[in-house]
Amino acid sequence: MPTTAATPHIEVERLEVHFGAVPAVRGVSFSVMPGEQLTLLGPSGCGKTTTLRAIAGLEHGSAGEIRIDGKPVYSARKGVNIPAEKRGLSMVFQSYAIWPHMSVFDNVAYGLRVRRAGAAEIREKVERALGMVQMGAFADRRASALSGGQQQRVALARAFVFQPSVLLFDEPLSNLDAKLRADMRIELRDLQHRLGITSVYVTHDLEEALAMSDRIVVMRDGLVEQTGTPDEIYALPRSAFVADFIGSSNLIRGRNRPDLAADGLIALETPSGQVIYGSAYGRPVGDELTVSVRTVHLRLSPQRPAGERNVWPARLEKTVFQGDFTQVHVRWGDQPLIARCAALDPLPAGQEVFITVDPKRVVLLGA
Amino acid sequence: MVHNQHGRITRRALLKAGAALPLVGVAAPNVLSQPLSKSPTTVLDFKTNADVAKAEQEGELVFYCHENEAGTAGIMQGFSKDFPKIKTSYVRAQTGALYSKILAERQAGRFDVDVIQLSDIAPAFDFQKKGGYERYESPESGAYKQDYLSSPNGYFFWTGVDPAGIAYNSEKVAAADAPKGWQDILNPKWKGRISCKISASGLQFVQWYMLRKLYGEGFWKDFAKLQPHAFDSRVQLFDRLAKGDDAITAIGEYPAYILFKGRNAKVEFVAPPDGLVATPLVVGAVNKAPHAEAAKLFVDWAMSKRGQAWYQTNPNLYYASVRTDAPPMPTGVSLTRFKLLYPSDWDEYARESAAFLKEWNGMLGL
Amino acid sequence: MSATAASAERWSAQRLVGYGVAAIAAVLVLYPVFYLLQAAFDVGDPQTRPPTAYGLDNFQVLLNYPRIMLNTLVVSFAATAMALVIGFVMAWILARTNVPGRRAFEQLMAVPYYLTPLLGALAWSMLGSPESGFVNQVWRALGGSDHLIDINTPYGIAWVMALFEGSVAFVMIAAVMKSMDPSLEEASQVIGASRLRTMLRVTLPLVVPGVLGAAIFVFAEMLGSFAVALVLGTPNRYYVITTAIYQLIQQYPPRIQLAAAMGTSLFAVMFLMLFVYRRIVTRGSYVTITGKAFRPRVADVGRLRYVLFGVCMLYLMVAVVLPIATLLYASVQKIAVAFPAADNFTLDNFRAAASMNAVGSALTNSLLLAFATATIGIVLMGLLAWLIYRSRLPGAGLIEYVVMFPQAVPRLVFAFGMMWAWLVFPIPIYGTIWLLLIAYLTVFLPLGVRTIAGVMLQIDKSLEECAQMCGAAWTFRLRTITVPLLAPGLIAAWLLLFIASMRELGASILLMGPHSKVITPSIVESWFGTASELTATLALIQTGVVAAAMIVLVAVTRRLGAQLVE
Repeated sequence: MPTTAATPHIEVERLEVHFGAVPAVRGVSFSVMPGEQLTLLGPSGCGKTTTLRAIAGLEHGSAGEIRIDGKPVYSARKGVNIPAEKRGLSMVFQSYAIWPHMSVFDNVAYGLRVRRAGAAEIREKVERALGMVQMGAFADRRASALSGGQQQRVALARAFVFQPSVLLFDEPLSNLDAKLRADMRIELRDLQHRLGITSVYVTHDLEEALAMSDRIVVMRDGLVEQTGTPDEIYALPRSAFVADFIGSSNLIRGRNRPDLAADGLIALETPSGQVIYGSAYGRPVGDELTVSVRTVHLRLSPQRPAGERNVWPARLEKTVFQGDFTQVHVRWGDQPLIARCAALDPLPAGQEVFITVDPKRVVLLGA
Repeated sequence: MVHNQHGRITRRALLKAGAALPLVGVAAPNVLSQPLSKSPTTVLDFKTNADVAKAEQEGELVFYCHENEAGTAGIMQGFSKDFPKIKTSYVRAQTGALYSKILAERQAGRFDVDVIQLSDIAPAFDFQKKGGYERYESPESGAYKQDYLSSPNGYFFWTGVDPAGIAYNSEKVAAADAPKGWQDILNPKWKGRISCKISASGLQFVQWYMLRKLYGEGFWKDFAKLQPHAFDSRVQLFDRLAKGDDAITAIGEYPAYILFKGRNAKVEFVAPPDGLVATPLVVGAVNKAPHAEAAKLFVDWAMSKRGQAWYQTNPNLYYASVRTDAPPMPTGVSLTRFKLLYPSDWDEYARESAAFLKEWNGMLGL
Repeated sequence: MSATAASAERWSAQRLVGYGVAAIAAVLVLYPVFYLLQAAFDVGDPQTRPPTAYGLDNFQVLLNYPRIMLNTLVVSFAATAMALVIGFVMAWILARTNVPGRRAFEQLMAVPYYLTPLLGALAWSMLGSPESGFVNQVWRALGGSDHLIDINTPYGIAWVMALFEGSVAFVMIAAVMKSMDPSLEEASQVIGASRLRTMLRVTLPLVVPGVLGAAIFVFAEMLGSFAVALVLGTPNRYYVITTAIYQLIQQYPPRIQLAAAMGTSLFAVMFLMLFVYRRIVTRGSYVTITGKAFRPRVADVGRLRYVLFGVCMLYLMVAVVLPIATLLYASVQKIAVAFPAADNFTLDNFRAAASMNAVGSALTNSLLLAFATATIGIVLMGLLAWLIYRSRLPGAGLIEYVVMFPQAVPRLVFAFGMMWAWLVFPIPIYGTIWLLLIAYLTVFLPLGVRTIAGVMLQIDKSLEECAQMCGAAWTFRLRTITVPLLAPGLIAAWLLLFIASMRELGASILLMGPHSKVITPSIVESWFGTASELTATLALIQTGVVAAAMIVLVAVTRRLGAQLVE
C-alpha cells in the first residue's frame, strides 16, 4: 500500500489531447504516488490509452501539463514537450511489440544497450529479469517463435530490465485467453510490488482493475468520472455510469422524504410509492435523488424477513442461471430490479418474494 | 551557284563550273587567294591546318549528325580508325530536330558540339548567319569547286550528295506497272501503299521544292490524297519496301537502294527522266567548340580523299562525293551519270521553309 | 530548460532530415512542372526566353486537333477494357480456383511488365503488319486473302498496350479478390446457389468497387502510354497525345508551346482521374487491402482446372513467349519473313549489334544508371515514405501529394519540362547521365515511395514506439529496428527500381545526350534508323541483359536477406 508521501511521482493536470477536430481527452487530472499502481479504467473510446500515451510522450498533448517528479515533461503553457525517448519511462504494449528479428536476449537487452551498459552488466541484468518472469530458459530463442503469453513476459522483462522509475501498461493482458489472463494478473501485481515501481495501467477489464490497482481512475468520453481505491469505487460510486460500469447496479430515482429520514439515513419515495432508506455518504441531498443498489446486495427470500426498513414484496419474473450466481429479475412496484444471488433453488416465475437491502448499501449518487 | 535559264543544275553546267563564278546575291572575294594563317602539315595522306598533337591531347570529338545510327557510327568509325587517340561521340537526329537542338543548347549557353553535319543547306545558311560555324579554311578546300563550299569558304562544305529517285517492291509491283517518272507516283492505285519522309528531312524539303517548281502546286496536293506513310530514315523506307509493307516509295535514296540490293531485297530503282532530287550533305566545324583542334582535324579528314573514300564506300553511307578527283561510287556509277535536281537559289529555297513545313505537317496530321 | 528543450526538438535530426528530404522531392517534382506550365502559357516568340507574353492561345490551337484527343481516348478506353477483362479473368483463375501451378503463374504474370512495352510493340509489329506480319503471311499461305489482323489500328495498339502495360490491372484485382471475406460467398452457397450464380451475384458486386478503382488507375496509365503508339501508330499517322508531343518536339522548328499545351491538358486529365481514384480507394467503405489475412476460399472446379490451366498458358504464350520468339525469329534473318529461304538466315545482325559501340555504351550506361537509381532511390524514397506515413512532422500530407505528382504526368511530358528546366540550370548537367539520374529518381518517386510505404505500414507502429520507450533516439531506432524490419521491402523496392530504370523510355528519349545514351531509347532510334531485324536483335539483347542482371540480383539479395535474418 502506498504511504502518504508528500510529492506525487506523476501528475497530470487538465490534460487535453485532440486529434485534429476530435477531442480524445478533454481535461483529465490525476496524480500517481511513488510505488503506487494507478489504473485508468473505462469503456473503449474513453481516452484512457490516449492519456497513457500522452504520459509516455507518444502522443502530443493539446493543453494542460504533465509532470514527472515535479518537472514538466509536457506543458502547453510553457511550450515544453520532451520526446518519449528522453522521459525515462518504460512501457508494455498491448501487442507486446516483440522485435521478430532479434533473439529474446537481445530484445530484453535493448534498453541497456541504448544506455551503453557493459556486456557483463547486460548479461547479469537480462538473466535476472528473464528469471523474474520465468523465461530464463528462452534467452537464445528467436523472439518470433514464442507463444502469446511468453512474448508478453519477455515484453515485461524488457520493460523493467533497465530499472525505470515508471512502468506504463497499455492493456497488456487483453490479447491473452481468460485463464492465462487471470494468472498473469496476479503475477504482474506481485512483480510490481517486488520492484516497487510506480505503474500506470490501462484496461477496460473491471476485474483486472479491481484486483491489481492501488487506485483507479474511471474515465468516460475523455473525462474523469471518479478517482478512488477499488473499494471506494465499488462501494461508493459517484455517478450512474460508475455505478453500473463497476459491477452491476440498480438505479432507483425518487423524491427526497426528509420527513422520513432517521438514524442518519436518507429516505426516498419512488414514483410508485415505495420508500427506500439509503446513505448519503457526504453527498449533497437535493429534492430529486438517485440511489444505487448493487445487484449482489439485494437479498431475496420467499418469506418476509425480519427487519423494518427496506423490506418489500416483489414479483419474480425470471431467473437466469449464470454458474457462480443466479440473476433474478423481479418487479418492484413499477420498476424492474435485478438481484444476483448465489446459486438458488429454482423458483417459479410469478411467485411473490420479498426483497431487502441494507440501507448502508443504498448509495446516494452525486458529486 | 551556277544556274542556267531553267534554274536547274545540269551536268553541263556542273562541268562548266570549274571557273569560279560570282555567287548570286552574295559578293565575296576569291576565297582561295586568301592567305592561310599558317602552312598546313601533312598527317596520314592529307593536309591539315589543325594542331594534330593538340587535337589528340583534346582526345575527344563530339559530332552532331543527321544520319541514322549506323551511318553516324560509320562516319565516326572512319575517323577513329585514323585517329585512335580521339574518342568520338555523337548525337543523331533528323536535320530539323538536330538543328533545333543545337540552337536551343547554344541559346542556353551550352557549347558542347564540335562538328555538325546536316542534310539540308537551309539550316546551314541560317547557322552561318547566326555565327554558329567556326570559320576554318581547310587546305583540302582546293579539291572542291566553289559551288560545294560555303561562301565565303570556311564555314561548311558539301561532304557528299544524296540523290533520290523512286523505288518499288518488285514482287508487289510488276515492272510494267512500275512508275517511270515523278508524275506516275500520283496514280490513285498507290493509295495507302506509298511512303515518304517526315518534314524534318532535308531531302524531303528539296523534293517538295523542286517537284513543285517542275509540276506546279497541285502536285503535292494530289500526293496528299494517297495518304502516304512517313518515316525518319531511308533505311526504314527500304525496310518496309523490302518486306512489302509499302509497294513504292516516293523518295528512294540511291545509297539505301544499293545497301538493300546487296541484301537480296526485291527492290528496284527508278531514275525519273526529269532528274533525281538531291540534297547536299554539309559538314562544318562549330564555333566555341570544346575540342577546337579536333574539330578542324575532322573537317580536313572529311574533305580529304581518304575521308571521302570512306564516306563513299561505307555501306551505311554510300554518299556521292563532289570532290573533283573522287572515284566512282562502289556500284561503278559516278555522280555525273545522274541528272540532279536541286535548288539554284538557295535563299529562295530557304524562304519557302515555312510553307513546306505547314503543308507537309498538315499532310501528316500535325 | 523549457526553451532549449523546445528548440532542441525543433531542430532535431528527425526534422532536419525530414524537411531536407521533402525539399529535395519538392524541387525534383515541381521545378520541371513549372517550366512545363510556363511553356504552355507562353504565347510570345518561342525563341525568346523568358516568355514575353502569357495567354491561353496555345490551348485554343489545341482545339484544332480534335482527332488526336479522340484517338487518345479511344485507345485508352479500349486498352483499359481489355486489360480489365484479362486482369479479372486471370485474377479470378489464380486467386479463386485450384488451377494447378497457381504460385508459378502468379510470379509469371509479372513478366510482361519486365518486358518493355517497346519490345511488345516491335514484336507485334512484326506479327501483325498487314503486309509483312508473320501472322498475315501464314494466313495467306493457308489460303486466306489480304490480311487476318492489322496491328496498326487503334484496336491493335490497344491490344498490345493491354498486354504489356495492363498487368497492373491483374495485380490490383487479384489483391482485391484475396482480401475478400470468404464467408460471404459461403453464405451464398450454403443457401444452395450454384458457383456461377455465386460469382455473379456475390463475388462480382463485392469486387466491383475495387475493380472500378483499378479501372481508373489503369486508364490513367494508358493515357500516358508512349512506346506502343509510337511504333504501331505513327506509320499510319495515328497519333495520340504523347506521340503527337514527341513529333511536335522533333519537328523543325519545334512547336514547343503547342506540345506543352498538349502535355498540360493530358496532365490535367490524368490528375483528375487519379484524384478520383484516391477518393474511391480511401473512402473506407470498400474492400481495402490490409495486412489482415483473409484466406480466400479456393474453389474446386474439377475438370475445369485443366481448361483454366490452358487459358493461363495461352495468356503466357501470347504475352511472353510469342513476342520473344518473334523477335528471335526475325533477328536471325536478313530480311524477316514468315517462311524464309535457307539463305535468309544469318548471324550478321548479332555481329553488327555487338560491334556497334553505341550499343555497348548504352547497355553499360543503362546498367550503371539502374544501379545508381535503385540504390539512391531506396534511401531517398525510404526516407520520404517514413516522412509521409510515420513521422508526425507538420506538412507531411502535402509532401505526399508532391511525391505522387509524377504519376499524373506522362513521362514524356515530364521529361519535356525537365529538358527546359535543367537546360537553364547553372550547373552543367544537361546532356549528361546525371540528368538522367535525376529524371529517373523523379519519375519513379511514386513507385518507390508506394512500394516501401506498403511494407512500412505493415510494420506495427508499436515496434518502433517500444524502441522509443526503451530510450532509443531516432537514428538508433532507424538502424536497429526500422531498417532491419524493412529490409525485405527495401530489397523488393530496389529490384523494382532497377527494372523500371532499365526499361524506361519516355523520359530518357528526350534527355539523352551524346555521352549518356541508354538502351531502351537506343532501340527506338534503331527502329527509326535501321532495319527492323537489327532492331529486333537489339531488343533481344536488352531483354537478355536485364534478365541476366535480375537473376544475379535476386540470387544476391536472397543471400543478403538470409544474412539479415541471422
